Amino acid sequence: MKSYDGIKIDPDLCTGCRQCAAVCPVNAIEGEQGGTQIINQAKCVMCGQCIQVCSAYDSVFEKHNVSRQKRLSVRHLPEFITEPLFAAHSIGDLLKVRDVLKSKTKFMMVQCAPAVRVALAEEFGLPLGSLVPGKMAAALRRIGFNRVYDTNFAADLTIMEEASELVSRVRNHGLLPMFTSCCPAWVKFVETHYPEFIDNLSSCKSPQQMAGSMFKTYGASVDGVEPERVYSVAIMPCTCKKFEAERREMKASGYQDVDAVLTTRELAYLIKEAMIDFSSLPEETFDKPLGVYSGAGSIFGITGGVTEAAIRTAYEMLTGKQLSDVDVTAARGEQSIKRLTLDTGELKLKTVVVAGLKNVVPILENLKQGEADFHFMEVMTCPAGCISGGGQPKMLLKDDSIKAYDRRGCSIYEHDKEQYIRKSHENPEIQDIYQRFLGEPLGHQAHKLLHTHYKPKKSV
Amino acid sequence: MHSHLNSFVTADAKKCVGCRSCEVACAVAHSKKEIKTVGNMDVPIMSRLYLVKTPEVSVPVQCRNCEDALCLRSCPVSAIKKQGNRIVIDETNCIGCKSCILVCPFGAIELITVNNTVVASKCDLCSERSQGPACVEACPHNALKYVADIGRDQSERRIAAAKRLAEVKEKYI
Repeated sequence: MKSYDGIKIDPDLCTGCRQCAAVCPVNAIEGEQGGTQIINQAKCVMCGQCIQVCSAYDSVFEKHNVSRQKRLSVRHLPEFITEPLFAAHSIGDLLKVRDVLKSKTKFMMVQCAPAVRVALAEEFGLPLGSLVPGKMAAALRRIGFNRVYDTNFAADLTIMEEASELVSRVRNHGLLPMFTSCCPAWVKFVETHYPEFIDNLSSCKSPQQMAGSMFKTYGASVDGVEPERVYSVAIMPCTCKKFEAERREMKASGYQDVDAVLTTRELAYLIKEAMIDFSSLPEETFDKPLGVYSGAGSIFGITGGVTEAAIRTAYEMLTGKQLSDVDVTAARGEQSIKRLTLDTGELKLKTVVVAGLKNVVPILENLKQGEADFHFMEVMTCPAGCISGGGQPKMLLKDDSIKAYDRRGCSIYEHDKEQYIRKSHENPEIQDIYQRFLGEPLGHQAHKLLHTHYKPKKSV
Repeated sequence: MHSHLNSFVTADAKKCVGCRSCEVACAVAHSKKEIKTVGNMDVPIMSRLYLVKTPEVSVPVQCRNCEDALCLRSCPVSAIKKQGNRIVIDETNCIGCKSCILVCPFGAIELITVNNTVVASKCDLCSERSQGPACVEACPHNALKYVADIGRDQSERRIAAAKRLAEVKEKYI
């Protein structure tokens, strides 16, 4: 199967302003100033930042070569959409998911990434960064999902595995520094641009893929349905998650673990098409067991969040002591590079947190020269982490993007604070799933379902 | 005499890259409801300035608020008036006859639909916006300029020209 390459620039709308080229972290956008731009698909990491910044649209005062109807169909968007269409866009999966929902032949399971619940409401005119996990869960049930599960649960699972892997690498003289692997654009970047560092990537799958493999194994057994009847959908702030779901490594359950990925924007279309009045929806909860999460799971959506969540668990694994203050403020903030040191007694664990893929290049170049002064590195491709992902609501004005990132970030931390349980290893459903199904972190079953290994891609 | 002149927004074709951010900001500023995201916008972008993009030039064009405004003179129902330092269209009185569109030398007037009625529309210098014209603020390359007082603008140019003259004298004479 051909892998997803759905980030495109509509030549009929592109004015050649090259604002997209300025934000592309991998220089994948090629074209003359003033001429039509083309995306070099081999280079593209599908982060979708070009989509967020593009301001060339289908003007009603101009005659375009392509009809609106045709444009919608090329983008796999339903015809009822009346919003303006911009040159940079992604190819969607909404029509596919809608057809499966309508057919009522599948047992529909859905997961939602942490950053979706702090941005979705913006598409319905609510204030930027409104925190709406309850309304989102309610909307998904009304759309027709049988189980409303959560990527946040899988983020807790990721921490169990990733913190264990880090502790094991530190104690058993494994390969360091270890890199996070939850951002699929970053993983693709390593595979294509820095294949010599593939083994530095954590072998953990991303929360999306961990959830996917759990849905069609444990999740199916909880509901007594055949795994082949399960249709697994992920709601993501990210366009590259579509690529990740289609990777051939992602079939641990024996089936494609995630059948379809919808962006935050696509979910908003689905809710509008179902004529659901979003703001008046009641607050509902996610389903048990794969929808119960800690505060640590919810901060995955922002730069520094994975590091903070990992520290909350790794510190206790390494020291056997309780972490007195769960707020790891050194990991927070909008800076593109943050460095922090955690004293575990055994060692001073040094971590680098990188937001914005371009910013990791000097660090990797230093690493090539053998200069590693850290043990763990978190990398998120988008400028503020997943809250600023390519699949998030697109702001009409640039100033509002900055405000939106700020408001969404505040909501992420507020949601963390609201949780009674703030550490992944204290999530009772996580403890239960290891006891009943997975065994130990890094154990045989966990390894089979939750880990993978990446291979170098043709260099570009 | 300058203080009586109309204000206007002008664009620098050397700086403009044709991104249309100005048009988007214009539509947002004139939207009846507060809109932040594209997904929450259910109507087309109807801007009051127009990006011209040909192989030779890329720059937006908008109303110059002419002193002897042909649009004002040509309007048969007096729906176009001078108000302070700008020329404004009263949409409630406009009958959509297109006379103003025919006479405007800049092509700065368009027809739009308001409450199911087709009316003429043009730049109003964001009269309801305390920060001034939205297009100027939105341009990522500072290609747009709000000329509120052409007299001050002129005097700045003259001072710059005088400085250049002084430099020439120092260097060559």
